[in-house]
Amino acid sequence: MKFSKLYDTHAAAVADIPDGATILVGGATRASEPSGLLAALLRQGASDLTVVCDLSDWDGSESILKLAHENRITRLISPNPFVGEHGGVIPELWHLADIEVIPIPQGTLAERLRAAGAGIGGIFVNVGLGTRFDDGKETRFINGVECVLESPLHADFALLRADAADGVGNLVYRGAQRGWNSVMAAAARIAIVEADHIGEPGSIDPELVITPGIFVNRIVTAVGAPTY
Amino acid sequence: MPLPDSSALVVAQRAAREIAPGAVVALDCGLPELVARFAPPSLGAMFLRADGTLNGAPLNAADAAAILRGGYVDLAIIHPAQVTADGSFVSRLYARDASIAPPGIGVDLASNARRVIALHPQINDDDAEICFADARLERPKDGIQCIDTVIADSAVIEIRDGQFVLSEIAPGNTVDDVLGKVSFPELVSAAPNPAEMDLSPPAESPRSKVFPDGPSALHDLPDGSTVFIDGFGGPGGMAHYLLISLRDRGSRSLTIVSNTAGIARVVSFGTPPGHTAIDHSVLIENGQVAKAIASFPVSPSVSRPSEFELAYRRGEVDLELVPQGTLAERLRAGGAGIHAFYTPTGAGTLIAEGKETRTIDGRDYVMEYGLRADFAIIRAHKADTNGNLVYRGTSRNFNAVMAPAARVTIAEVNEIVEPGQLDPEEIVTPGVFVQRIVKRPDGFTGYE
Repeated sequence: MKFSKLYDTHAAAVADIPDGATILVGGATRASEPSGLLAALLRQGASDLTVVCDLSDWDGSESILKLAHENRITRLISPNPFVGEHGGVIPELWHLADIEVIPIPQGTLAERLRAAGAGIGGIFVNVGLGTRFDDGKETRFINGVECVLESPLHADFALLRADAADGVGNLVYRGAQRGWNSVMAAAARIAIVEADHIGEPGSIDPELVITPGIFVNRIVTAVGAPTY
Repeated sequence: MPLPDSSALVVAQRAAREIAPGAVVALDCGLPELVARFAPPSLGAMFLRADGTLNGAPLNAADAAAILRGGYVDLAIIHPAQVTADGSFVSRLYARDASIAPPGIGVDLASNARRVIALHPQINDDDAEICFADARLERPKDGIQCIDTVIADSAVIEIRDGQFVLSEIAPGNTVDDVLGKVSFPELVSAAPNPAEMDLSPPAESPRSKVFPDGPSALHDLPDGSTVFIDGFGGPGGMAHYLLISLRDRGSRSLTIVSNTAGIARVVSFGTPPGHTAIDHSVLIENGQVAKAIASFPVSPSVSRPSEFELAYRRGEVDLELVPQGTLAERLRAGGAGIHAFYTPTGAGTLIAEGKETRTIDGRDYVMEYGLRADFAIIRAHKADTNGNLVYRGTSRNFNAVMAPAARVTIAEVNEIVEPGQLDPEEIVTPGVFVQRIVKRPDGFTGYE
């Protein structure tokens, strides 16, 4: 059988996500979220999930909230772990659902994901020392600057959204899609992309490619995916 | 809006006056976002927002992190809950719900911006007072000793030597009025003659990033500089015009950092007959290079050694060998405020000699350091006048990773357009990372 990254359905693309998986969810806004993949994950039933995502401005985070309501999220790692102006009802939900919420500075999340994607074992940065995020990690002076050692953040799966994909997984983003999706693609063992346009290899101008196909394992169309 | 509209606008308007022409300004969520409204476009400021956009153009989250942490933010504007006299702060969201308070970009900003301004600290939206705190404050902080100035609706208060100093007062207020609105007035002293708060718009224009030619763009490159030189191997993606300009300038004792130390000339890569390819060799044969940091510093042909090899054999230059991927990562680290990192590349080999090694999750790693330079001369296809870059073909490879890691990055491009004329989706290097732009002269080629 010819190898293909193309999947016919969202359900097929997420079918093997097991209980206990760590899942990166791309996007921070409605247009940049993988809504079809999230809906499929809801139906698929995996639980005890560690979810890594930015919920700062995410109108369409209903799937995440439903997962939380169904007690399927054990841990949430996020620079902005709730949505809406100053949280609204969402903080209460996190408390009710007994989710371990791990807030993480936005830049630290980006760098920990990037480190994972690049095979880096740890990075020394001078961010957060002496703050509430200074949680006893190893510190060291490097060239006179006090730094903390941050570890890479690896994941089992990434659920991503792109504007266009070719058959080998090269991705082009639109607007806010570029933000987290491009960093998460490399950091997961299996990156699954929902794209609005899917073309043949060669259909994307190479100068426009942001995520090289090597980081992408599965592609599914966003057409017909639920929008909230 | 957390403050009454009129107060919020006064605070934002006053804060906008702190923006220097062409500055990179990071705005935390909420009230700080209003500040951009009061910065006229002619000011040329670049606004990085918490949603990861730069002047509205989307960034990859890692590029946004690099801007936050790589020393690029001239001014960070935040809206904390409480500020202490040593310039530390508590986040508003923490003050309200400690269990899930998000850090957002606040912690990144506090750690690495050159200057931090706090807008009207308030714990709750309806707090009229300016929420200062004394040393007994026990709430954990999001930023330590980072705030330089507090701007409230009634006053500007500087933080100097661990003290609040009232330096400006809004019209219609007295010193006593302001002190009456501060939660710890005993911590505040007034400057001898506090000025009246000035709300006029900042008027200066930034110096253009566009330089007329190579010599002017390199005018301040001194002897002994470290210079990134882009290009992979062949003539593609190399800033040939700037290389010739640097040769003509004659700066000496340079440390050059590049993938090769100049092999295009000996490999030729399709050089037209009767010509030689321009590469690093023009600097080496001119006696300008003291050291190279490179991953491929020799000619692939033993019988045709490169200029660098010959100079090395004569003992005229030093060499630091770096695996290609490690070079890219060291550059990326240098641009992103990563001072050192662990990589598995080279563990157990000669490359690891004299370096710290460490076993993490059963795998051996070598510690490598971020690499920064005084100057980078890079090559792109197009730039807008803000320095946003679009590459063509192989020129994307080392250019994009070198641009953020140099103090002064100079891009040689074929075409310079006005802001807004590049498709944001096509931009690979955000303009924050590019300080100077030079158009490659028409008809200039990569060959001599």
